[in-house]
Amino acid sequence: MTSLVRLDRDLRVDLVRGFALWVIFVNHTPGNWLGFVTPRNYTLSDATEAFVMLAGYAAGIAYGAAMDRQGWFFAATRVMGRVFTLYVAHIFLLVVFTAQVGLSAARLDSAAYLDELHLDPFATDPYRALLEALLLRYQPSFLNILPLYIAILAMFAVAMPLMRYPRLMLALSAGLWAAARVFDITLPSWRGEDWFFNPLAWQLLFFIGCALSYRPPGGAPLSVPWRRWAGVLCGAFLGAGAVLTVMIYFHWDYTAATLPAFAPYLAAIDKASLHPLRLLTMLALTYLIAHLLPRNAAWLRSLPGRVFALMGQQALPVFCAGIALSFLARVGLEAEDTWWMQIVVNLVGAMALVGLAMLTAWYGAEKRGAPRTPRLPSPPQPDRN
Amino acid sequence: MRRILALLIGLGLSLPALAAQGPGCGAPTEWLQSPPLRAVAAGLTAGHLSILAVGTASITGAGASSPAAAWPARLEALLRDRRPDLQLRVEVRGTRGSTATDQWHEIEDALRGSAPPTLVIWQAGTTEALRSLPMEDMATTLGEGLESLHARGIDAVVMGIQFSRFLRANVDVDPYRDALRVVAAANHAGFFSRYDIMRAWAEAGTVDVERASREHRTAEIDKLNDCLARALAAFIRDGVEEARR
Repeated sequence: MTSLVRLDRDLRVDLVRGFALWVIFVNHTPGNWLGFVTPRNYTLSDATEAFVMLAGYAAGIAYGAAMDRQGWFFAATRVMGRVFTLYVAHIFLLVVFTAQVGLSAARLDSAAYLDELHLDPFATDPYRALLEALLLRYQPSFLNILPLYIAILAMFAVAMPLMRYPRLMLALSAGLWAAARVFDITLPSWRGEDWFFNPLAWQLLFFIGCALSYRPPGGAPLSVPWRRWAGVLCGAFLGAGAVLTVMIYFHWDYTAATLPAFAPYLAAIDKASLHPLRLLTMLALTYLIAHLLPRNAAWLRSLPGRVFALMGQQALPVFCAGIALSFLARVGLEAEDTWWMQIVVNLVGAMALVGLAMLTAWYGAEKRGAPRTPRLPSPPQPDRN
Repeated sequence: MRRILALLIGLGLSLPALAAQGPGCGAPTEWLQSPPLRAVAAGLTAGHLSILAVGTASITGAGASSPAAAWPARLEALLRDRRPDLQLRVEVRGTRGSTATDQWHEIEDALRGSAPPTLVIWQAGTTEALRSLPMEDMATTLGEGLESLHARGIDAVVMGIQFSRFLRANVDVDPYRDALRVVAAANHAGFFSRYDIMRAWAEAGTVDVERASREHRTAEIDKLNDCLARALAAFIRDGVEEARR
C-alpha cells in the first residue's frame, strides 16, 4: 500500500486532509462515540474548515499550473468539469439518503415524522422536491458540504486569474465574506431555510488555501514568515478556543453561572457564515502546523501517516464514500446502539475508506504508468482535488 | 407491613404511573436540575400558579390517546394532586410546525391577557431542527423572548427536542440542542433536556416509543407524556428549592 502514496508532494497537507475526511465520516454519524474525540470537541473549528481550505490549497496547485500552461479558459473548463462530477455525486448521494430515510422510517415506524414535519418532501411533493434538489435549493441534513464545495469551485472557475494577484484576491474574498456576514447575504433555499453553509462566506477559506499554494510563474506562493510572538499568539488563541469549546459543550451551566456577561457572546458563534473565531482558529492551526511540523518529519511516512496521506490524496472519492458510508453507519447504530456495533461501524467505515483510497490510487497510477502512445509527452497530472 | 401497605396505596393512587421508580420516572437527576424559579416559588407560597405551555402539536396530545394524556395536562393533574389548595391554571398553545417566532407570538398574545403566567414552558427547536431552518433566527428569537420574560419577572423553562433514533440518524439535531441549551442558560431560563431524559428512559427500557409495537404505541406515548410530566414536576421542584435556598 505504501507504494501507492505519492511522496513528491507536501505530505502534511495530504495527511491533514485525509484526517479531515475521516473526521467528516465520523461526525456525519450521529451517535458515534468517536464523535466525542474529534477536533470539534476542543477547537472552535472542525473538519469542514480544514476540508474547504485544503481543497483551495489543492486547487491552487493543480488548476493554477493548468492555467499557466494552457490558459484560463482551459483551466476553468477543467474546474467546471470537476464541478459537474461533484454535482452528479451530490445527486447520487441525495438519492441514497432519501432511500435510507424511507427505510429508517419504515423500520422504526416513524412515518409520522415524515409527513408531519416535511422531513421528506419526496413523499409529499416529489416532483417539486426533485427539481429543488437539482437546483441545490433543497439540501437534506448532512448533505450540505458538497453543495458548498460545488458553489465555491464554480466561483473559483471565474475568479481563477486573480490568483496572480494574491493580495487583491484575498482582499476581494475577505470583502465578500464580511459583506455576507454583515448584510446577511446568502443563497436562497426552497422552504425559507438558508444554505447550511453560506458559500459567499466560506469561499474565504478556499481562496486563502489557493493563495498559500499557487506558485505564479517565476514567483513564490504567498508565505507568512515565522515569528515567535505570532506563534505564541496562535497557541494562546487555540488554548482559549479549547477552553471556550469545553465550556460550550461540557460545562455550560457553570459558565452561565460564573460568566453571564460572556455567555450570550459564546452563544453567537455560528458555523453557517464562518464566524471570525472559527476562521481565526483554522488560520492559527495552519500557521502552527506549517511552521512547527517539519515537512520531512519521519512520522509523516510512518504507516498511520501514510494511511491518512493516501486518503487525502484521493480526496474526492473518499469524501463521497465517507458520506455514503455514514448513511449505512446510521442505519447500523439506529438498529443496534451497542458497543460492538460502534466497533463494527467504525472499523468497517475506516477500512472501506482506506480500501477505496488504495483502489483509486492504484488505478490512477496504472493509468499514468502505462501510456499507450509513448511518443507523446506524458499527460498532465490528474487533479489533486 | 405498613410500608408495603403504603406502597400499595401509593401505587393505587398514582395510576397510570410508575411511582416505584422514584421522581421523574427514574430520569437521571443530572437532567433534573433547574436554575432558581423565583416566580414559581413565590406563587406556590402565595397559593396561585399559572403555567403557559407553548410548543408544537405534540403538547396538545398528538399521538396520545386524548388531549388529557398530553404532558401539560398530566402536569396539571400532578400538581392538583400534590397541592389541592393551589389556585392553578394551565394554558396550552401548540400549533403544528410552529417555529420559535410563531411560538413567541403565542406567548405575547397570552401575556396580553388578564392574568400573566408565572411560568412559561417553551418547547422549542423541533420544527427548526427538522426543517433545517437557520439556527441563528431561532436563537435570536428565543433569546429575546426569554430576556423579555425574565424582565417581566416570569420564569421560563425551555424544553428541548425529543429523543428519537430516527431523528438522531436523519436530522442534524445536535447543533440545535446545543443552541437551545446555551440560549436558555444565557437568559436565566431552565433547560429541560427532553432528549437526554428520553434517551435515558429508552436505554433503561422505561419508555421507548420507537421500540413499542404498533398496537401498544398509543399506550406508550401516553406513558411517555406522563413520565415527561413527572420529570418536569421534579425539575420545577428543584428550581423552587433553588429559589428558596
